[in-house]
Amino acid sequence: MSARDEILARVRAAVSHVVAAPGPFEPARRRADFAAFGAQLAAAGGQALGPFAAAELAARVTERCRELGASGRIVASDAALLRLGAGPWQPIQPDAPPHAAADVAVAVLCGALGVAENGAVGLDGREASPRALPVLCEHLVLLLETRRIVPDMHAALASLPEGALAQHHFTFVAGPSKTADIEGELVLGAHGARSLSVLGIA
Amino acid sequence: MTFSLDRRAAELLPRGERLAAHAAAVGALRDKRDAAGRAEPDFERLREQARAIKAHTLDHLDVYLERFEARAQQAGARVHFAADAAELRRVVTELLVAKGARRVVKSKSMLTEECALNPHLERAGIEVVDTDLGERIVQLGHEPPSHIIMPAIHRTRGDIGALFERELASAPGDTDPGRLTAAARRDLRARFLAADAAISGANFAVAETGTVVIVTNEGNADLGSALAPVHIACLGIEKLVPALPDLAVFLRLLARSATGQPISAYTTLMTGPRRGAELHVVLVDNGRTRLLADPAHRSALSCIRCGACLNTCPVYRRAGGHAYGWALPGPIGAVLAPVLAPDAEQRSLPFASSLCGSCSAVCPVKIDLHDQLLAWRGSDSVPVAPPPGTRLAAAALRHPLAYRAVALAARLVWPWLGRLRVGPARAWLASRELPEHPGESFRARMRARR
Repeated sequence: MSARDEILARVRAAVSHVVAAPGPFEPARRRADFAAFGAQLAAAGGQALGPFAAAELAARVTERCRELGASGRIVASDAALLRLGAGPWQPIQPDAPPHAAADVAVAVLCGALGVAENGAVGLDGREASPRALPVLCEHLVLLLETRRIVPDMHAALASLPEGALAQHHFTFVAGPSKTADIEGELVLGAHGARSLSVLGIA
Repeated sequence: MTFSLDRRAAELLPRGERLAAHAAAVGALRDKRDAAGRAEPDFERLREQARAIKAHTLDHLDVYLERFEARAQQAGARVHFAADAAELRRVVTELLVAKGARRVVKSKSMLTEECALNPHLERAGIEVVDTDLGERIVQLGHEPPSHIIMPAIHRTRGDIGALFERELASAPGDTDPGRLTAAARRDLRARFLAADAAISGANFAVAETGTVVIVTNEGNADLGSALAPVHIACLGIEKLVPALPDLAVFLRLLARSATGQPISAYTTLMTGPRRGAELHVVLVDNGRTRLLADPAHRSALSCIRCGACLNTCPVYRRAGGHAYGWALPGPIGAVLAPVLAPDAEQRSLPFASSLCGSCSAVCPVKIDLHDQLLAWRGSDSVPVAPPPGTRLAAAALRHPLAYRAVALAARLVWPWLGRLRVGPARAWLASRELPEHPGESFRARMRARR
């Protein structure tokens, strides 16, 4: 008997199919605006800026890149380029090998949704392409329409973009990479991006 | 065979400042968990919902396993099953050898610790590098992790500075956590970029969508799976949840219970392989179906490995994770040990508890941990006679006259007890002070109040 059949047989012998699933969870109502989202993001070590009008977005992103002191390539996704137009950034080649992102100083991508309860931004696999880009870049800058902010994880997982799970990965990013493995002291930039800035779009 | 946690703790847990540092680090996690729970109005109801979802899922585990397998395969993942630790080791090794993989990066997985995967791969000539900072520290120090989510919590910054100076050429005498982390980042970045394969655990698997969910704060699982041409995710069969709405409940509880964060920095839902890469999912039993068949202990399979029961446990805080002698320490480790631990010695771990119940009070999925510890005592799976002290106490508590005699004797010798320095009393009193005795019995005090 294969391991699969053996395990399933043991499971079937052990279970009784009588314990019903609980009803849907009803979360408490909470604010789902950019301020609430931004407060949580700040607590997670990230920074929320704005919201900004569409017309000033490119200038704000340029300013942010300068503040980050990024010396090296700045890349922007196609969706971000549509919003930003020309600037110090260049398009990314989604078909480039994942390692090609190793020298990226700043990646500018569009977030699919924001979560007010924890400051996380949902990043679609089609946007975070090549896959390694949001973790290999030194600094991550995400553009987020304020109307895409949902109150909590229940709403977030209920409103994933169409086809999000057909893309290998959908990632919730809450702040920069971090660790507290040395005596519990928080250090930002353990492996992935050293900083996360989220620019709201009104 | 008698239980050896006292001896192990005496050998393994440093005393004095180190003991204080360990207790403080562990206690800080507990405090953060409490604050996060209080700040979240849904928290207590989420715990109940999580318990109910797990009870339902476990009772329909065959249905959800087959559903997950089918959906993950549709998405392009390859799903493997492993009946025990040896089979997991064989499946993973064969996959890596078939791909010619020599350099492997690994993100944290308690399951692969439980199944001793690393030493096996190394014997097969495959270099395995743990990439979680805490895991990397204990790997460089040739020791096992001592905590489920903070593998190096028993190490001070001084230890780690000396270790990194030797292994990673960090600046001599540097003990700054920021600079030590930067040294590890530099070393590991090169290894991520050169890896032939990535191995990870998984926090959840969603049956409805065939999705594997991995949560980290460092982003190391994302880096590994994003760069290597092969990703192998190893998970116990109990990691399944039915659908995305259930996942939301667990994601809201996990980080709050573990570190007090409302969510970890990276939560990645992986459905099928990256383009041009391979995703393998290995579903492991290794004793889990025995727990599933045992009504008293089935709910222990609900554990989401947050570490909250360790952080609150007075025994864990003082003894440290290594004293437990296998991959999972703390109350949950003691509950699972009689079935999942590799050696007979760990089957007696249910005796390493004061049964204070603090673990059950913080468990995000409401496992009745201390009741289960009690249930193991005297079970056939725990073939251990209770320690002499426990047997004596049991005898005294069963007979009122004996109890009064013991209590009277204790009152008489109490003032000298604290100065005892022989046998087990020496170890016990080395770092403890006896409380002051009230001088009279409880019965006498009650009589006086009437």
